Amino acid sequence: MLLLKLAWRSLWRNRRRTIITITAITLALTMAIFFIAFAEGVYAKMIDDAVRMQAGHLTVEHPEYRAAPAIDLTVEASAGLRRRIEALPGVEATKALVVGQGVARAGQGTSGVAVLGVEPEAERRSSPLARKLVAGSYFDRSDAAEVVLGLELARRLGLGSRRQAQKIVDFWWPSLSGFRRQRADWVEDLRPYLAPGRKLVIASNNADGELVEELARVRGVFSTGAVEVDGYLVQLPIDFARRLYGLAPGAANQLGVILGRADDLERIRLRVQKMVGRTSRVWTWKQVLPDLAAYIEVDGGSNMIFQGILFVLVLFVIFNTILMSVLERRREWAVLLAIGTTPGRLRGQIALESALLGLLGCLFGEALGGWLAHLLELHGLDLRTFYPNGLSVSGIAMDPIIHADLTWQLLVVCGLVVFLSTMLVSLYPMGQLRRIRLADVLRG
Amino acid sequence: MLTVRLAWRNLWRNRRRTVITVAAVALNTAVLIASYGLMDGMVVDTVHNITYLTVGDAQAHAPGYRREHSLYQDLQDPQALLAAADRAGIGAAPRAYGFGLVSSGSKSAGARFWGVVPARELQAFELARQLRQGRFLDEVSLPAGKRPVVLGNKLARSLHATVGSELVAVVQAVDGSLGNELFTVVGVLKTAGEDIDRTAAIIRHDDFAELFVSGGRVHEIAFNARGRLTPEQVVTLLQPAAAGAELLTWKKILPQLADMVQLFDAVIWIFGLIFMLAAALGVVNTLLMSTFERIHEFGVLKALGAGPLRIVRDVAAEAFLLALLSTLIGVAVGVVATVYLQHHGIDLSGLGGDITFGGVAFNPIWRATLTARIVWVPVVSMWLVCVLAALYPAAKAARLNVVRALTHV
Amino acid sequence: MKTETMLGTLLVMGLAAGPLAAGSGRDARAILDKVDDLYRSRSSHARMVMRVVTEHWSRELTMEAWTKGKEKSLVRILAPKKEKGMATLKVGNDIWNWLPKVKRVMKVPSSMMSDSWMGSHFTNDDMVKESRMADDYDFQVTFSGERRGKQVVEITCIPKPQAPVEWGQVVVLVEDGSWLPLLMTYYDEDGELARTFTFSAVKKMGGRTIPTEMRIVPANKPGEYTLVRYQDIEFDVELPDDMFSLRRLRR
Repeated sequence: MLLLKLAWRSLWRNRRRTIITITAITLALTMAIFFIAFAEGVYAKMIDDAVRMQAGHLTVEHPEYRAAPAIDLTVEASAGLRRRIEALPGVEATKALVVGQGVARAGQGTSGVAVLGVEPEAERRSSPLARKLVAGSYFDRSDAAEVVLGLELARRLGLGSRRQAQKIVDFWWPSLSGFRRQRADWVEDLRPYLAPGRKLVIASNNADGELVEELARVRGVFSTGAVEVDGYLVQLPIDFARRLYGLAPGAANQLGVILGRADDLERIRLRVQKMVGRTSRVWTWKQVLPDLAAYIEVDGGSNMIFQGILFVLVLFVIFNTILMSVLERRREWAVLLAIGTTPGRLRGQIALESALLGLLGCLFGEALGGWLAHLLELHGLDLRTFYPNGLSVSGIAMDPIIHADLTWQLLVVCGLVVFLSTMLVSLYPMGQLRRIRLADVLRG
Repeated sequence: MLTVRLAWRNLWRNRRRTVITVAAVALNTAVLIASYGLMDGMVVDTVHNITYLTVGDAQAHAPGYRREHSLYQDLQDPQALLAAADRAGIGAAPRAYGFGLVSSGSKSAGARFWGVVPARELQAFELARQLRQGRFLDEVSLPAGKRPVVLGNKLARSLHATVGSELVAVVQAVDGSLGNELFTVVGVLKTAGEDIDRTAAIIRHDDFAELFVSGGRVHEIAFNARGRLTPEQVVTLLQPAAAGAELLTWKKILPQLADMVQLFDAVIWIFGLIFMLAAALGVVNTLLMSTFERIHEFGVLKALGAGPLRIVRDVAAEAFLLALLSTLIGVAVGVVATVYLQHHGIDLSGLGGDITFGGVAFNPIWRATLTARIVWVPVVSMWLVCVLAALYPAAKAARLNVVRALTHV
Repeated sequence: MKTETMLGTLLVMGLAAGPLAAGSGRDARAILDKVDDLYRSRSSHARMVMRVVTEHWSRELTMEAWTKGKEKSLVRILAPKKEKGMATLKVGNDIWNWLPKVKRVMKVPSSMMSDSWMGSHFTNDDMVKESRMADDYDFQVTFSGERRGKQVVEITCIPKPQAPVEWGQVVVLVEDGSWLPLLMTYYDEDGELARTFTFSAVKKMGGRTIPTEMRIVPANKPGEYTLVRYQDIEFDVELPDDMFSLRRLRR
C-alpha cells in the first residue's frame, strides 16, 4: 500500500512527464479503437449491401444448383422451416428467391433479362434495390403480375409514353433550352421514368422446358448505378414468378438467411445445414461472393499494417518518455538506494508507476475512443458527396453511409495490447537500475 | 560561427542524452518516410491497377461510341493518333470491338470480340501478361491457318474451354452477312474485371477484320504513358491529331473509379496527418525533457551573466544541429527502407486468388513509391517540431529567476 | 442488330394473327380465321427470297424451308455464296445452326433469343414462339368499303387484359370477298405505330391463292425493312420425322 502511494506521488511530482506519457497512451488507444471500428463498419456495410442484393449471408440451394443453375432445381422454403431458422440467435430474417432467365418484350423493344422472383415484404425491408426506385413504387402483393426493372432496361425497351414525355418536355422547354441538348434527347431520357403502368411480356422456358409467356405491367423503375443490374435485372413478385415458371407454391431456387451481424457465420451455417438436411446445401456469402471476401481480407491486411505503424510510433513515445525519466531520476534512485531502499522495493515502485501510467492512459483511451466510435456508430458518416457517381464493389452497387462497428472484443483487445506493451516497455528502466553505481551517480 | 561550434560541443557534452534524442528524431523521420512511401505506393498502385491493365491514361473513340457500342461508329483517322502517340513515346493500342456468339461443343455464349495488335498490347498494357493459362496472341504459337483467341476466365468456364479448345465464332458482319470462323483457344486470362472475365474474346486485328468484314475499322485507341505524363497531359498532347474523335482521360471514362481513388487519397492523407502527430509527439516529448533537464545549467549560465536572448539563441542553435543530424540519419534509413519496400513490397494476398474491386483487377502486393514528397514533408515537419520543442522550455528558462533556475530539479 | 419481334409471317413460325373473339358485322371471326390459316398446314415445303435493308447494309438471301406441325422446322440457305449451305433447325424450343464453312453445328443459347435471326427484323425468339393468339384479342370491324380503288374490310383488335401481348392494338386490313390480308399494323400502348406488315403479289401456289410477298417495316427505323417473297410453296407434304434431326442438319 505504501508502495502504491509512493508510486502515485512520484508520478505527479513530475507532472509534465506523466501527462505527456498518459496522453500518448490515450491517443494511441483512441486512434486504434476509432479506426478499427470505422474500418469494420466499412466492411460490414459492404458485406451488408452486397449480401442483401443476393439471397443473404447464407444461401440454401439445391446441391447441384451452384454448379449449373437451372429453374427446376429448387429447395423447400416452407413456413415451418423458415420460422425455425429465424428463431436461431443472430438470424434477422429469411427470404425466398426464384431465379430465372427470360426475354422481355415491349412495344418498342426486346431484351434478354435476368428474372428474380422476390417476396415484396422481405425485399422492401432489406434490399437496397427497393430503396433506389426512381419512378413508380415497389410491390405490395406477392402474386401481382407486375415487374420492377432498371432504368437502363426501361430505356432499352422503349418503355414510357413518348407522347407524354413530349408534352412534359414541351412544357418545360423554356427552362431546358438553355442546355445544349436536343428536345428529342430530353424526351428519350425522360421516357423510362414514365414506364410505370406500361405493358411488358415476359417469355421464358419453365421448369418443364416449355415456352411460357405472361403479361405484366411495370410497377416501379430503379437505378442502382451498376450497369449489370440496371440493364438486365427484372424483379417479379414471387408467386407471379412461381406461376410463370411452373413451380409449386413455397418452392424457391434460393432460400436466403440474413444475419444481424456478419460474425458467427460458420456456426449458424452448420445449424441451418442440420435443419435443412441432405437435400440442400448451405453456402456462406464468402463462397457466393469470393471477390468481395478477398477484397476485404486484403484491405483488412493493409489496415492492420497502418495500425501497426501507428502503434510502433506511439510505443516509441512511451519508451522515450520512460527512458528519459530513467535518466532524469538516476540521481533520485541512487539517493534512495543509498539510504537503504532495497532494489526490490525500488523495482516494485517503478513497476507500479508504469502500471498506473498504463492504467490511466488506457482508461482515458478507452473512454475517448469508445465514445467517438459510438458516436459514429449511431450517426454514421455520409460519404455520398465523395461518390457523386455512385460506388460499386465487385459489380454490386453500394451506399456509402458508414456506421462504425464497435464491439466489446475490440475494446478489450486494444486496451489489453496497449497496457501490456506499456508494461513491457518499462522493463528497460528496471534493467537500468542494476547498473547504477551509487558513488558515481551521487557525485554527479 | 562560434555559436555553432559551441552548440555542437554542448550537444556532445551529454552524450547519452543527445544520442537518445537524435535516435528518437531519426527513427521517427525514417518511419514517417517509409510509411508515406507505402501510402503513396498504395494510391499509385490503385491507379496503376486501373490504368495499366487495359484502360490506359486516356482513350479515343468516335463520338457516341461509348454509349451505343455500334460497329459502325469507328474512328475516322486512327493512323494519325497512333503516329502522334509513337512520336511522343506514348504507348498506344488500337482495338476493334464487335459482339457475337462463341460456341464450344454444346455450349455457347455471347461474347465481345476484341481485334487487337498483339505487339502493341504487349508494349503498352499489362493484360497481355495476365494469363492464367496459355499465352497471348502471337504469331509463333499456332500452325498456319489456325486463328488464336484469348478468353476471359468466366467465359472460358461457361464454355468449358481451355487452351487447345476449338471455338466457333458467329457474328453479324459489317455488310450484314453472317461471319463465321473457327478459333483455337491459346490463352485464358486471369481476373481482369467483370466485363472482361465474362465476355472477352480477344483475337488478332486481321482475324477480326475477316470475321466482321470490317476493313480494318478501329473503335478505340487506348494510350498509356506509363507514368511519364499525367493523363491530362496525354490528352493535350494528342488532341491535335484527334480529328473529331472524343479523347478523354480515364477519369472521365470511369468516373466511379476516379471517385474511389480520390477518396482513397483523402483517407491516406488523414492517416499521414495522424502519423505526423504521433511522430511529433515523440519528438516533442524527448526534446522537452532534455531541455528541462538543463534548466539548472541555464541557471548557471545566467548567473555567469548570459542574457536571456543568448540562452535562447544557444538552444536554437543546438536544436538546429540536432535536427540536421537526426534528419540526415532519418532520411538515410527511411530512403533505404522505402527502396526495399519498393522492390519487394508487402505481400497481402495469402489467399491465392485474384480480386476485382469496382470492376478492376487488384494486385495484392503492396509496394512503396519513392518520391520527393515523402521525404521532404517528414523532414520539414520534424525540423519544425525540433526547433519549437526546444525553444519553449528554453524561453521559459531564459525568463526564469536565476535562483529558481539554479535550484530547479 | 434488330430488336423488333416479328410475329410470324414466314412459314417457320405460326402466323401472328388468328384473333378470334366475338366479332360483329361482316363475320369478322371467319375473316380472321382465314388470315390465320393462310399459311398453316400440317406440313409445308417452300422456297423464298428474303431481302433485308438496314441503315448500313442490304442483302438478299434465297432459302428453302420445311415445316412439320408447330414444333419442327428446317431452313436452308441457297444463296448468296457466303451463306450457302447454312441451315437452321428448330425442334421444340431449341435451335441449332449449321455452318458449312467451318463444318460445325452451333446451339443458340437462350440468352441470345432476343437477337435478330440472320440479321432480319425478326428474332430467334420468334422462331420458337407458338403464337396462338386465338384467345388473345377482342375485335370488331371498324371499316367496310372502298379505299384506294379496292373493296376492303378493316378489323381492329384490342388485346384482352391478360393476354401475353405487348401491343396496344393490331389493325388487320383484308380485301373484301377474297379476305386476303393487305396490311397489318401493330401499335404500342400509346397508340404509336410499332410496325407494319404489307402483303402483296397474290398468286396461286400449292393449291391456294395467297399473297406471296410480305414486307415488315419497323416504325422506329423508317428506312429499314425485311421483304419475304415466296417463289414456290407446297402444303401438307409428306415429310419424314428424321428430316428434322441434327444428323440431317449437318448435310
